[in-house]
Amino acid sequence: MTTDTHDHLRIDARLDRVSDARALVRTFAIDHGAPEACVDDLVQAVDEALTNVILHGYDGRSGTIDVTVASDGDTLELTVVDDAPPFDPTAAPVPDLAVPPDLRVPGGMGIHLMRLATDSIAHEARPGGGNMLTMRRRMDPRPKEER
Amino acid sequence: MALETTIEHVEEPLPVTVIALDGELDASNFEALVDTVGAVRGGGAERLILDLTAMRFMASSGLVALHSIVRIMHGEAPLDTESGWSSLHATLPSDGEDRQTAVILCGPQPGVERVLTRTGLDRLFHVYPDRASAIAAL
Repeated sequence: MTTDTHDHLRIDARLDRVSDARALVRTFAIDHGAPEACVDDLVQAVDEALTNVILHGYDGRSGTIDVTVASDGDTLELTVVDDAPPFDPTAAPVPDLAVPPDLRVPGGMGIHLMRLATDSIAHEARPGGGNMLTMRRRMDPRPKEER
Repeated sequence: MALETTIEHVEEPLPVTVIALDGELDASNFEALVDTVGAVRGGGAERLILDLTAMRFMASSGLVALHSIVRIMHGEAPLDTESGWSSLHATLPSDGEDRQTAVILCGPQPGVERVLTRTGLDRLFHVYPDRASAIAAL
């Protein structure tokens, strides 16, 4: 995706810093004309992604997380980069909400919400260690399940 | 952003405790909310309305808090955070089954309501548009 504009934040891997990332994404999305449902989805996605990295990636160890949000005018893109051990949330099982699922994988609830909040999620293990998660959502005013 | 709670006791038409949540419910503060409800229950509250009107965001950890709150208000232990998702779905009512009435929600913003729907947790709660209609429905 060729981006026209972007914003970036580096936070310590602490749960009480995730709200700063949410604020960054919310402000950027609103400033770039994203509809309300799109703003909500992106804020949800960045929160769940960062919480997973902190709780299950760094798992109590210190570290940093880089969050970048970008726009090409049609789609917003979130990139989350960390130095934690490799973990691919896109490989987590898809829950069946009609049946009690065994979702005792790390961050199962958050990953479910990330999938519903975004149009695409891609994970890359970074050379030398760490993860890069890229999530995209079109600036469609409708939630994914209504399209 | 922190989550502020305001507790109010209403006597009519039935005694109910209203906890208004202002801010964002996430992994950094959901356990404090569960503790708050534990204290309210310990003080004798039997019915609870969670007023979500000023809650602008709820993370997945908030779902564990909501389900723990239901369990606490029914005199049960709160959820184990790690196994919350499984035990949550094991106890959600099916379509057509009655929802519990010890914990009622009101005023969720669209993004919060979407999280409830996307995870099936809306099947656990009666949800009213505002506090007045929630109290009137007791």
